[in-house]
Amino acid sequence: MNNIPLVHFLYLAAILFGVGMFGVLARKNAISVLMGIELMLNAVNINFLAFARYWNWNSLTGPVFVVFVITIAAAEAAVALAIIISIYRHLHTANVDDAHFLRG
Amino acid sequence: MENAIFYIIAGITVAAALMALTVRNLFHCALFLAMAMFGISGVFLYLNSDFLASVQVLIYVGAVTVIIIFGISLTRNMMNERSKAMNHQFLLSVVVAVFLTGIIVAAIQESPFFGSEHPASLVFSTVSSDQAQQPNSYEVSGHLFQNGVSYLAGALLKPENGFAFAFEFVSILLLSALVGAIVIARKDPL
Repeated sequence: MNNIPLVHFLYLAAILFGVGMFGVLARKNAISVLMGIELMLNAVNINFLAFARYWNWNSLTGPVFVVFVITIAAAEAAVALAIIISIYRHLHTANVDDAHFLRG
Repeated sequence: MENAIFYIIAGITVAAALMALTVRNLFHCALFLAMAMFGISGVFLYLNSDFLASVQVLIYVGAVTVIIIFGISLTRNMMNERSKAMNHQFLLSVVVAVFLTGIIVAAIQESPFFGSEHPASLVFSTVSSDQAQQPNSYEVSGHLFQNGVSYLAGALLKPENGFAFAFEFVSILLLSALVGAIVIARKDPL
């Protein structure tokens, strides 16, 4: 096993989460927002695997949760792109700021 | 040497993620996202998860990026191509993201994981310490070594491990999400 400390994986995951959150907050295009969400989910996956391997590698709960997160992220990407295509068909834009029909 | 390669992979991943979310051309964004996913798969390899690394490449680089590129080419707005990529809350987003990352890093440094150099010192499990020194060895002594694909499949599918119902449920969720995506994206409403 390599001797990289656990906190370096946690730092990498934290930085990736921050980058993904920046993309979710700052991008105009809805597809870019989706990319940011995918990055945040992957940062969480890195955390799951790092804790599973370093803290309690005898348990398989971490990899099992990573499998679930990947599955749900794939389903979420499919549904989100369908919604984006539907919005584009109605509004002729993929800008998240233009889809404000439900704003109170 | 392998530590240096890990830090190179981590740097490439962070740089590709930053580029994926700041470049204006959406196709380049998707390609940088694929690069970041490759880097994350390399990080998974450093965590002794070879199966999940290949799953990462298959699903994220192979499926999600391709579906994102399909979405980009289906929704490209030709009139707006010269417009800005960021909205009006760009500076606030930078502040929020940096603040959140700083809080997480500070929390990590306050946590008990910080400063523990050797991974085996963190392990609290039923195995003895000389077994804990070599977690990647393939001589199986009872339940000690659980690193391969078959162990993951056993954890997911054996009912006594408690994840079998969740596994079946998540497959139903995936199927219903795909059917729902088709229904949402239909041109004529049902």
